[in-house]
Amino acid sequence: MNGYNFAYLDEQTKRMIRRALLKAVAIPGYQVPFGGREMPMPYGWGTGGVQVTASILGADDILKVIDQGADDTTNAVSIRHFFQRVAGVETTTATTAADVIQTRHRIPETPLRAGQILVFQVPIPEPLRFIEPSEQETRLMHALEEYGVMHVKLYEDIARYGHIATTYAYPVKVDERYVMDPSPIPKFDNPKLDGNPALMLFGAGREKRLYAIPPYTRVESLDFEDHPFEIQRWEHACALCGSDHSYLDEVITDDQGGRMFVCSDTDYCQSRRGEVA
Amino acid sequence: MAQRERVTTERMDRDAVSAAWPGLADPAHDSQRLFRQILGAMSEPGTLATLAVPAPPSDALGAALWGVVLTLCDLETRVWVAADLDSPALRQALAFHTGARITDDPASADFALLTHDAFDPQTPFAPGSDTYPDRATTLLVVVERLANAGPSMLSGPGIETIRALDIGDSPGCRALMDRLAANRASFPQGLDMIFGCGARLAAVPRSTRVRRADAKEVN
Repeated sequence: MNGYNFAYLDEQTKRMIRRALLKAVAIPGYQVPFGGREMPMPYGWGTGGVQVTASILGADDILKVIDQGADDTTNAVSIRHFFQRVAGVETTTATTAADVIQTRHRIPETPLRAGQILVFQVPIPEPLRFIEPSEQETRLMHALEEYGVMHVKLYEDIARYGHIATTYAYPVKVDERYVMDPSPIPKFDNPKLDGNPALMLFGAGREKRLYAIPPYTRVESLDFEDHPFEIQRWEHACALCGSDHSYLDEVITDDQGGRMFVCSDTDYCQSRRGEVA
Repeated sequence: MAQRERVTTERMDRDAVSAAWPGLADPAHDSQRLFRQILGAMSEPGTLATLAVPAPPSDALGAALWGVVLTLCDLETRVWVAADLDSPALRQALAFHTGARITDDPASADFALLTHDAFDPQTPFAPGSDTYPDRATTLLVVVERLANAGPSMLSGPGIETIRALDIGDSPGCRALMDRLAANRASFPQGLDMIFGCGARLAAVPRSTRVRRADAKEVN
């Protein structure tokens, strides 16, 4: 595209983000501050993820963008078009064909392979933020590894509901050190963070933070001995592909209370139905 | 007239520098390609990458580390250069290609350029702080050799089971691996290192557990 540098960001900005990414990888789960730029889309639409993607993306890369698992929702379509225009890269909806996958709030059902990079869009990177509003305090809590309050928060769920009611953005501990917000992915996806062969990068544009989970890193979801971590389960199978092991969205089909459950990962669902040409 | 002469001389200097110390032919795409290799090396510690970079005239530095400098350094970074690598030509090339500031204070350096011979564990590079561990010096070190063999065993994030890395037998190389092994005790503070040997490169960040196969594990 004329008038813009490759992948929109100027080289100086890319270098700054690249240096921050290397530190993020060197200290898994630690949130590295970076000079987040204003992007041609509003905060909350994935400006952090877009800046990370723009800094790593190459002309030969094949890009996939998903929003809640779907390739065809507004956020995914507009970000995919953005990179088609400013970087001229090839895009795909197939998880297996992609080199870089930018995601909002899901990890694909198809297992990722070594060499792939998953870029998460993160609204609020600080897992302790709703407990402690002060950045200075939360930074100190991370430094001192003072994470007791996080368990108190989960325990309050148990006291109130009888089980841990946190269902998304479920806090994890990375490599036995940093407590990290895995972005608002359903806790169904948390086990996929552990020992994943792909590199996972997280970008928060408004909060100007980057963090990372290198491949094959131990990632544990916080829990208690008597209330172990559990993922969601459904009584239904996907109404389209019949999958009984993927994350399902509930879709209202009429105003008579009709509804169906379908896979949130559209690529996975379609390839199961043999619709991918 | 005098001014014009000065401009001409400066331009000649610049041409001489860029001819002797080559930059990236296609900065946007070359630095992206190199960065992905560096990112891969850092996220999978001990894996070897070969960087396609025009070699600098000084063999001492090597193409891979020159590529790292061209990819990551700019006017926002401070670079510390060890005495044995330091030369007016290198300083000129750094200024010309990156605009990076040279610093004499290792504690304020974002990047440090050195050889294994010059590594002194007492040099006060910045290890970051517990609240800002990212504010740490990244060491770019020329080593004797790079191979996935030998006595140093790496494990931790980025390594599925265990990976061997051999950077050489010199006292400096041993001291480097000892320094990396000491990172665990001060984590999240620590030094991250990128090793270069000719066009080859490997990285070991502070998250990596390093132990010698012939030594008992020390925790």
